[in-house]
Amino acid sequence: MESRNPLTHRSGQSRRAFLLQVGALTAGTALVSRRASAQQPAAVAPGGEEMTSDSYKPVSRPPKPGAKPTMDAKQLEAFERELACPCPCTLDIYTCRTTDFSCGISPAVHGDIQRLVDGGYSGAEIMEALTGTYGDFILNAPRKEGFSLVAWFAPFAAVAIGGVGIGVLLRSWRMNAKRTESARPSRTAATTGETTLDATPEELAKLQAALREER
Amino acid sequence: MILVGELSLWIALLMAAWTTTVSFAGGMQARPDLIKSGERAMYATFGFVVLASVGLWTALFTHDFSLKFVASFTSANLPKVYLFTAFWAGQEGSLLFWTLIMTMYAAIAVFTNRDKNRAMMPFVTGTLGVVALFFLMTMAFAENPFERLDWVPADGRGMNPQLQNPGMAAHPPMLYLGYVGTAVPFAFAIGALVTRQLDAQWLGAVRRWALVSWFFLTIGIVLGMWWAYVELGWAGYWAWDAVENSSFLPWLTVTAFLHSIMIQEKRGMLRKWNVTLVVLSFLLTILGTFITRSGVIESVHAFARSPIGNWFLGFLIAATAVTVYLVSTRLNDMQAKAELESMVSREAAFLYNNLVLVGICFATLWGTLFPILSEWVKGDKITVGPPFFNAVNGPLGLLLLALTGIGPLIAWRRASVANLQRQFTAPLIAGVVVFVALLALGMRDPYALASYLLAGFVFGTIIQEFVKGVGARRRMYSEGLFVAFFRLIGRNRRRYGGYIVHFGVVVLFCAFAGLMFRKDITATLKTGESVKMTDAYGHNWVFTSQGISFFEQLNRRVTAVTFDVTRDGKRMGLLSSEKRQHVNSRGEPTFEPSTEVGILESPKQDVYLVFTGAVDRDTAAVHINFNPLVWWVWFGGIVMAFGGLIVMWPQAQKAEREGGYVAQIPMGRELEPVGAGA
Repeated sequence: MESRNPLTHRSGQSRRAFLLQVGALTAGTALVSRRASAQQPAAVAPGGEEMTSDSYKPVSRPPKPGAKPTMDAKQLEAFERELACPCPCTLDIYTCRTTDFSCGISPAVHGDIQRLVDGGYSGAEIMEALTGTYGDFILNAPRKEGFSLVAWFAPFAAVAIGGVGIGVLLRSWRMNAKRTESARPSRTAATTGETTLDATPEELAKLQAALREER
Repeated sequence: MILVGELSLWIALLMAAWTTTVSFAGGMQARPDLIKSGERAMYATFGFVVLASVGLWTALFTHDFSLKFVASFTSANLPKVYLFTAFWAGQEGSLLFWTLIMTMYAAIAVFTNRDKNRAMMPFVTGTLGVVALFFLMTMAFAENPFERLDWVPADGRGMNPQLQNPGMAAHPPMLYLGYVGTAVPFAFAIGALVTRQLDAQWLGAVRRWALVSWFFLTIGIVLGMWWAYVELGWAGYWAWDAVENSSFLPWLTVTAFLHSIMIQEKRGMLRKWNVTLVVLSFLLTILGTFITRSGVIESVHAFARSPIGNWFLGFLIAATAVTVYLVSTRLNDMQAKAELESMVSREAAFLYNNLVLVGICFATLWGTLFPILSEWVKGDKITVGPPFFNAVNGPLGLLLLALTGIGPLIAWRRASVANLQRQFTAPLIAGVVVFVALLALGMRDPYALASYLLAGFVFGTIIQEFVKGVGARRRMYSEGLFVAFFRLIGRNRRRYGGYIVHFGVVVLFCAFAGLMFRKDITATLKTGESVKMTDAYGHNWVFTSQGISFFEQLNRRVTAVTFDVTRDGKRMGLLSSEKRQHVNSRGEPTFEPSTEVGILESPKQDVYLVFTGAVDRDTAAVHINFNPLVWWVWFGGIVMAFGGLIVMWPQAQKAEREGGYVAQIPMGRELEPVGAGA
């Protein structure tokens, strides 16, 4: 019944079916899985064989009594975008499964999530189940707690420290300029008076010389 | 020819060793004969690397499958254009390609400085020789492109389908031209440090090389984005993948250098910082290569795990140690009396610009390496994906965009309140107008609104600078509008070329913000069935499946799905996406099926169709994306490259003085042209 529905989010099943179809329709032979060679996109080259056997770990829980789906399609998509596909594609689960990296993992993880959603589990519960199986590796970004907080904190801290450092540096340069200014007898009229010029006397002299040369 | 190529690789290795030895010896003993010999040996190294490259190309075009490289990356039925690009499709060939560009740059640098910078040139040549020697040794002893198989296969494995794309013909060469370009400024920095000639002279020699590197890195990165977008099928162009990040890191530091160099040229300050940026750019290039080729970090397009990662790590450590030693023992030579008339000045703005650029560089490097750090500290591997990079680099990017507008508006040395008012009023109004207009149109995303507000502001600054400059020329030289416009740019390419680059940056930020309004849908449709969708602009689209077709084309068997597309009832045309099964000359499948996306491109948005699978001969599963403003990413990249070209273009000394205007001279004074760039 579901395949008759033009809108479906079960594209993972379709992909597996497709791979079988392509094998039968085009080559008539089984697809040859090959190991990665240099600069072959790693997600493609190692093939499903390596990734599915090593990286996919089933996550299942019995459905809750009287369970209803806890997410609609859009919420599920947003949820899957927070999860990293364990294959080397570096994409999130949703993007990977709706793309073609011939990845067997993201459709399988999607299937597990869909079953948990249908089984009445909340997003937090599903996340806990997934991290319990895969570890934090399944999260697409570090947690904002514990050691992982350092990941978030360090770049801003570095920029803040750099900003303070530049402030101190500029201040010392300003002090140098003040010392030089106080050592000079006086400045020319170009930088005094009612109007403050943004060009120094040296620059103005340079400009005048350049203009004379042009003429 | 193949044998000649193989032998040439070894002779080039010896030549590079000779270059290094006699150049350093000649420099230290001040012996012109050794110095000359070193320079000639550098030319010879380049010549032999050219021969080695010709040898490898010959092997590729003649299908010599006795070579492991040829058998690994080509097949007898591979289209000829990809036989040419197969040169850099694998580790060994790409190392040779890198060395080819490296030695070409080195030969040009030696030749163009044959009468200049004579004291530091032996050390520059020697340093370039060391880099060339390292790459040649890596090839000769670890990844030799001429390595032969014990047996000769009837056909090769073929090229990965995703590399059979025009983008991959141009993207790697551009990126390598940019990467390797950082080696020449690095060599000059080493030469300047060794000879303690750390005034502005060495900067003059490296500025154009830094621009060359920046220019090619920019093109290479944008081409890489384009390739990822049209080929990988995930409807995006930047995933903060480790390899993408590796190309972005030196781009950031070179960009920072191209700004901070102006402070040293104009004020004699920031000598240590400029040396640091030049050295850092090269070291980041080597670090990026280590990340790409060692397999320490997972990446969608990293090279396979290879022992040469250790070679690069060793070289990185050695190069860092040498430069740290040289910099730390020359700190006194880099002392300059730094003075600043005001905290509100262009010098200060450029420093903050450098801080943000280097901050983004640090954040990107930190995020790329954090999984390793986490595993080392906690024993658990974690993922640092796009949500992290977007969250951290997003605000920093907006800050950078703001500084792109602020910097050129503030005067050198000291900006008065009147100056600030005069310069900032119109651009700020432009930004606010854009913001209010978008708010009125219903835009609510805070990041997008901030991006467009700042984009409006920066665009306002650029327009204002051009309007004032053209106006000044028209008054001073009684020129027509177009003549004044083109002469304004032509007479001060550095300043106005820079503004064009800034315009490209604005366009890119606008395009990036457009992706906030992306929409997508997945559907499974039989022939004749339709799916409807409304895009971010409110247009109603209908996609009607025309069925699945099967055919053979070149070296592949194709399964294609085609859709008839209408927008608000108006027919927009047919859109197809394909699954391709590549085969070798015996008809055997090579690699897994790949997807060829269908794109209905327009400046407003791309309709991006991905054929995700066939349920049966009549039913296709597809993923349809509406990606707003993607076209502007490519346009922005072209504008940036064009601006870079203007900045790079050689300019006669005399003409440089004429061209700009003095925005800060108060009324009543004679308006005079200034030559110094922005």
